[in-house]
Formats: sequence, C-alpha cells, structure tokens
Amino acid sequence: MSNYIPRRSFLKKTAMAAAATVAAPYILPTGRLFAASGNRIANHVVFCMFAGGVRNIESVLQGRGSLMPGTFIGSSGIDPSIAPGIQPLPLPMGQTLQAQATLFKQFRYAQGPTGHFNGHSTALTGNYTLQDLSIKEPPRNPTVFEYYRKHSDPIQNALNAWWISNALGPYPSLNFSTYPGYGALYGANFMQPATLISELGANALSNPKAFSQAQMQSVNDLRSFFNESFSRSASQDGGSILNENSDKDLIQSFLQNTFDTALAGGLNDPWNVGQQFMNDDMFNVSAAERIIQQFKPELLVVNMQGVDICHSNYTQYCNNLRKADYAVSHLWQTIQSTPGMANDTILIVAPEHGRNLQPNTISDNYGQLALDHTSDNTSREIFCMVVGPPDKVQQNQVINTVTGESIDIVPTIAHILGFKDAIPGGMLPGRVLNEAFI
Amino acid sequence: MQVSNKPLVILTVITILLTSAIGCKKETNYIYEVEDVQVTKDQSEKTVSKTMVEFISIAYADVFGLTISQNDLGILSLLYLAFGDKVLIEDVLVKNMLNSTEANLPSDAEMRSNIGLYVKNTYLKLYNREPNELESFTLNKKISDNLEMTSAMVYYAMMTSNEYRFY
Repeated sequence: MSNYIPRRSFLKKTAMAAAATVAAPYILPTGRLFAASGNRIANHVVFCMFAGGVRNIESVLQGRGSLMPGTFIGSSGIDPSIAPGIQPLPLPMGQTLQAQATLFKQFRYAQGPTGHFNGHSTALTGNYTLQDLSIKEPPRNPTVFEYYRKHSDPIQNALNAWWISNALGPYPSLNFSTYPGYGALYGANFMQPATLISELGANALSNPKAFSQAQMQSVNDLRSFFNESFSRSASQDGGSILNENSDKDLIQSFLQNTFDTALAGGLNDPWNVGQQFMNDDMFNVSAAERIIQQFKPELLVVNMQGVDICHSNYTQYCNNLRKADYAVSHLWQTIQSTPGMANDTILIVAPEHGRNLQPNTISDNYGQLALDHTSDNTSREIFCMVVGPPDKVQQNQVINTVTGESIDIVPTIAHILGFKDAIPGGMLPGRVLNEAFI
Repeated sequence: MQVSNKPLVILTVITILLTSAIGCKKETNYIYEVEDVQVTKDQSEKTVSKTMVEFISIAYADVFGLTISQNDLGILSLLYLAFGDKVLIEDVLVKNMLNSTEANLPSDAEMRSNIGLYVKNTYLKLYNREPNELESFTLNKKISDNLEMTSAMVYYAMMTSNEYRFY
C-alpha cells in the first residue's frame, strides 16, 4: 500500500507491467443488555485469526522469550540467538490482552489437514474439513457470517458482517457457503485490502465519474426503467453477496475516502511506528480498523498470515509474530476507543493451526531451522484467547488443561451475539466456550 | 458412288473447337460470402450471468472501443476478486471507466442531434439488441425531456442495470 504514484488516467494508460442496520439493543430496567434477537453477551464480535501457522512453543509458552508482549503476560527477554533478527517495534500500550481475557492455553485444531485454508474454513464454519476441500468453491457448510445474518432477529444486513483477508487465492470464497438455504444471500462483505487499496486499485478505481445528486436521481430512474423490462436480477445467480442500495453508497464513500487517504500517503504508516516496520499483516489489520471505525460491524473477521514465512526463515517467523502481536494489540485499542464498540465488543484471537515439532533442513541467517506444518501433534496445538470487558469476560484467567478446539469458535460467536439457539440442531458439532464468560 | 467426307470434316472441326475452348477457358474464382446479418439476442433469452472476465472485457470494449489487453484484464480481475459485492465493484469500475479521458462514448451533442439513432445504437451496443417500441419511445422521451441528461449517464445506467449482467 505504500508509495502511491500520482493519479493518472484509466488503467490502460498506466501501462502496468503486470463491508446499516444495527439491531438496536436496549437496556431493560434491570440494567441488563438485550438485543432484538436473543440474549447477547455483547453486540459486537471481532475474530482475529492469528493465522499462518503459529506454534504454542513460540507464542503462549514463550519458548524463545517474550515475542508477543502485547498479547501474553511475560517479562523474559527475547532469546539472544534470534534477537538480532527481531525489529525494534515499540511496545504496545496498555494492559496485555491476556490480562483482559480468558486464555485457553491448550486449544486444539483436532482434525483435518493442517493446511491454511483448511484451518480458516474450520474456524469460520465450525466444522472440520475431513472431506476433500475444493479451493475453488465456497465451503460446503454455512459460515459464521451466514448463521449470524440468517438467524439473528431481525435478519442482519451485510454491512454488519465483514471478512477482511490478507490474501486472495481461495480466501475470498469464505464469506458464504453453498449450503442449501444459506449462501450469498446471507454472506459477509469481503475485502482484501492489499490488492484493492493498492497502487493498481487506486489507478483503476479511485477516480470515478462524479454525478450530482440530481444526475444520480436521473440515473436511478433510468436504471429502474431498464430493470423493469428485464426479468432477471444479479441476486438470482447467487454468485455474490449484495448490499442494500443505501449501504452501497456508504461503502462506495468509504472506499473513495480510503483511496484518497492512501493517495495522500496516509496509509503508509497508519500507526506511526515507522513505515519500515509495517508488514502485510499490520496493513490488513489497519484496514479492518478503518471498517470498525466507519461501520461498527457486529461481526468482523480479520486474519494475518505473515508468520508462514517459517517454512523457510524461522527468525523472520519470530519477527512477524512480534508484528502480528503489535497488530492485534492495536486492534483491541481501536475497538476500545471506538464509540459504539468500546466495552461492547468481544475479541477472539486464535491461530488456524500450529507448526511441526521437528524442523526441516532450511537454515536462516541466524542458524535457525525452519518449520513446516504437516499434521503432527504439535501442529494441532494452538491457543485461543477471548478478550472483553470485565462485566462480560473472565479477566486474566488461564485454562491450562486441554480445553476447547477450533470448531468451538463459531458456536461461541453465536452465543455472544445471541443467535446460537436459532441454529438448527446438528449443524455445529462444537460447543460454546462458556468458561470465558461471566 | 462418291462418298462425301464433309460430315467427318465438320465433326473434326467442332471437336477441335470444343476441346480448345474448354481447355483454354480461364478459371473462375467464386467467392462465397455470408450476407451481413445483425446478430442480436432477445432479452428473454438472456439467462446466463456474465463471468468476471466477460463483464470486464465487454465493459472495457463498450467504453473504450478496444479489446482489453491481457495485462489489464489480469489487473482488473484481481481488483474484482478483492471485493465481495460484485455489483458494487462493477459499479465503481464502470464509473471509473466512464471518467477516463479515453472513454469513447457518443458525445452529448451527437446524442441530442439524433436521439432516436442514439437510442437504437446504444441498445445494440450495450444490450446487443434493438429496443422495442416502448423502450425506444420511453428512453427517447427521457433524454428529450431532461436537458441535463448526458450520454455518460445513459451508459452508466445501462451498464449497471440487470440486463447488462446477462447474455
């Protein structure tokens, strides 16, 4: 997202080489918070997939020192053998997330291949991918977005559900499934900021034809006339989620504002940590923060995968763990400083899977051997953290026994947002992580 | 009795003439052509939604009058994939195309000089069919009655309408 070139005419000339209808909650005379659908613990959930394959050894167990000082309580220095490869990011401000959370220290990605897309699909559908998984098709089981939009009462619009991915490939398809009765109609808004809010994106999409309000009325009148004489609509092919017209205008304004900010250089170092420290994970989370601030969605999922460099560079994996730690800490600070979401949001943080115990043969500049993830026991060991305000989430609680697994995240989100009981029986094999809540 | 050889001579001459005539005749090159026919599709037959690549390629050709390069198609496809609401991103894409200095639309003056022809040609270009009488009359009237209506507004409305997404 850095180093935008000045705006030019449309793409051809560039000669390039190559997500509001918020269900209004109300306070009963008792002071307890309810929402229109069912009992809610909070009105917003942000799920940050700390993905790319994170071992408990380097994260929650702090085996190489305190690489994640914003997330976990710990004061040990970074292992001297890798310390020169860790960039000096500033320490996150405020309390650690752990102090405001319940930490499931021995969470499990119990079944299915330890592949990134398998792990993402499991975390977002609440079902393990035990059958062949097509990376060219949406998931077969409904996603958490579809459960949320379909089973909330009233039904929620797409502006309230966002999936912010760090990558394209198969990941755009995770915003809705092919499950009968669910699908695109209940899908989430999807955005992959690294591609969209880029130099390419700015050149192609940041300079739209401007129409006055009167002209837009005429255009809408014309379009209605054209649509009246054609019996099919875009919603019938089921290939895309659809926003309400009024929400589309809001999203287009948001995109335009984001392009303008990016073109002015305002996204090169959005957190003022130094542009040289920003990586794709940090940019992705900063884009999610813009959506949080703009739309205050009830359900937002954002991922990071920079740590997957561990296949070839262990020390850089540790460095990216540190950056991802900073990003998720900043994400929580943004949530807690956004009116409408502060003290009414629960943040869930979990990797999609771990990495192998035994290294491969690739050594980095610090003599550290790289790690793959091929479904050994260690690659199934992950953590899960449920962060929230003290009246909703058990603070500074650590569950050290093997408790909880990846398929529990969707039912837990459904429980927080009050639609768990509306989901038909048998669709979600996991359980609610009740240990985390007051 | 004298036997005349005249018939034999005549037959011989005819044979020689015929043989030489046939043997020396210049070969005719026949060129078989297909008569120009406007291929259109009735709107009721449009049941297939355009793919991402089809939408981008066709929109580009309709606005710029050029075939999109593979490189630009690749870039626009990535941008298209990077946002989930396809109708919304198509809308943004079309508005950006229409704002390009290289957009090749009929000018407003051309539109106003012969609205009937403009309506017919625009339907043929964007919907791949002629307008029916009601459509022709109505669009003609909407343009005539609204002096603020521009060619870009008509293109924008048609290219973001439901029919434009199908073939």
